[in-house]
Amino acid sequence: MKESLNFLIETHKLKKMPRTGWVLRGVENPETIGEHIFRVAFLSWLLADKKKLNTKEAIKIALSHDLCEVYAGDVTPFFYYLNLPKDQEKKKKLLMKWVRLSRKEKEKRGKKKLEMEKKAFLRLLKPLDQKTKQELFSAWFNYEKGVTYTGKFVKQLDKIETLIQAIEYFGPGKTPAMGWWEETEELIEDPLLLDFLKVIQKRFYGKKIAKIKDQKELESVLDFILEIGKLKRLPRLYWNLRGVKNPESVAEHIFTLLLMAWVFGKEKKNLHMNKLLKMAICHELSAVYTGDTTPYDRILPADNQQREEVLKKMLRLSKKEKKWIFFADYREEKKAIEKLTKKLRPSLKKEILLLWREYRTKSSPEGYFLAQLNALAVLLQGILYEKEDKKFFVSPIWEWTFEFCDDPVAVELMEEIKKKFY
Amino acid sequence: MANEKKFYLTKEGLERLKKEYKELKKFRLAKTKGEVPRLWHSEDLNPEYLSFQEDLNFLESRIQELEYVLKNAELIKNPLKNRQNIVDLGATVTLEEPDGHINEFMVVGTLEANPSEGKISSDSPVGKTLLGHRVGEEVIITSPIKVVYKIKKIRYNLS
Repeated sequence: MKESLNFLIETHKLKKMPRTGWVLRGVENPETIGEHIFRVAFLSWLLADKKKLNTKEAIKIALSHDLCEVYAGDVTPFFYYLNLPKDQEKKKKLLMKWVRLSRKEKEKRGKKKLEMEKKAFLRLLKPLDQKTKQELFSAWFNYEKGVTYTGKFVKQLDKIETLIQAIEYFGPGKTPAMGWWEETEELIEDPLLLDFLKVIQKRFYGKKIAKIKDQKELESVLDFILEIGKLKRLPRLYWNLRGVKNPESVAEHIFTLLLMAWVFGKEKKNLHMNKLLKMAICHELSAVYTGDTTPYDRILPADNQQREEVLKKMLRLSKKEKKWIFFADYREEKKAIEKLTKKLRPSLKKEILLLWREYRTKSSPEGYFLAQLNALAVLLQGILYEKEDKKFFVSPIWEWTFEFCDDPVAVELMEEIKKKFY
Repeated sequence: MANEKKFYLTKEGLERLKKEYKELKKFRLAKTKGEVPRLWHSEDLNPEYLSFQEDLNFLESRIQELEYVLKNAELIKNPLKNRQNIVDLGATVTLEEPDGHINEFMVVGTLEANPSEGKISSDSPVGKTLLGHRVGEEVIITSPIKVVYKIKKIRYNLS
């Protein structure tokens, strides 16, 4: 438990690391590695499901694929953009294109990068127990080397997610997104994903395409992926209300909970891991339309001083008030999820709504456990903020978790957090 | 069966898969006897097997997958001399842009493709575009935005 907690704390660094490709091209406040992982994981679920691949494996591979960057950093492919020319025009031109290198040089640099990332990942995994270490390493290795078809598939989706993000940042036409098109077209070979690329071209470049199988379904997946992109850079309200500077986003919180579901969910033999992972990705989807919410929103006084006093403590509410807040939030969130999933395939739509409902009402063993892990994810993040800024108080979250957690694994983790920080 | 998918592999690629198949079978046998070495502690760590260590079903499906691939494997060979100026599987293609920049790919089958090492699949849009072209010809690579290359050189160094 101690080792898993230390590992989890280290992975929080990915919530502060902007992706290098965007920084180099001057994107203001770009997505972090944690946010990228979140959307790759979701895309992997949706399209692996369509492809009838193992979705649990796909989500795990997506989740592990950039974890090595905790220590390796986000190195650009082939170290190609490391020494950019000082001349602005030349620099701009270079950044518009994908890598141009000899085959030998690509092989040499590719192997060097892989070795560097492998070393960094093994360093991150070192304290973990053998089984967890093995599982995480295998998923990452599968992504890197494409040992199974699912590994190859997720690697292609990683590039597609980045391409979509590039188009979102720079737009179509003669923009830096061109470079990502080049990269994507070197890699994508799966027929379904080649069709998905056509759908992207149609959407953003207005290109007429010959009718493809499942076009409507692929279009609905693209719509969905674009919508959930709003969870990147959407600050979590709890931290915002309490003045935390540059707090984690909803997507980053989901990334952490997803990782916790994998690492700590393994301890719960009676739970379905696939369901738990999917539930973690879905649990805050409603924020796409409702924005992030906390139980405090509906009752915060208008007066600033009174407001601050309320925020310092955990809410003291009657059962009736709690019930009222819960149902008011529930109704709004449900509406948001229904709107978000409206165009998805009926079975997928149903699955997402059901997973969210089970989490929100804690009506299944997975929902019950995940809700407790969620509280601990908030607690851990709060403690890390308190360490950075003494003006921030984590005590209300402690109160909440003391009330909330009763699952043996969750309680053990809570005790471990206590031991670690106090 | 006439409809079975062919897997095009270089000699090295084929050898590597045969070796993996042999070792996984050995591994399965040892596992059923409870004699599995603790691979993580091994100096000669081979992570490809780690994911299968704990999961017999997974190990089984990988063995079956490899059996299918090996049964349908087709070796990529050097083409005849008079066809060596045409891009085909196994070719290393040197491309030149109008501004003089050089880019290079080796075109391989799906199982060996790894753009991080300069090896691209013949099923990728770039691979498909290159196939069948000759030295001196112009190719347009990407679809939404055109990238024009001239094929400068084609080499086949297959063993």
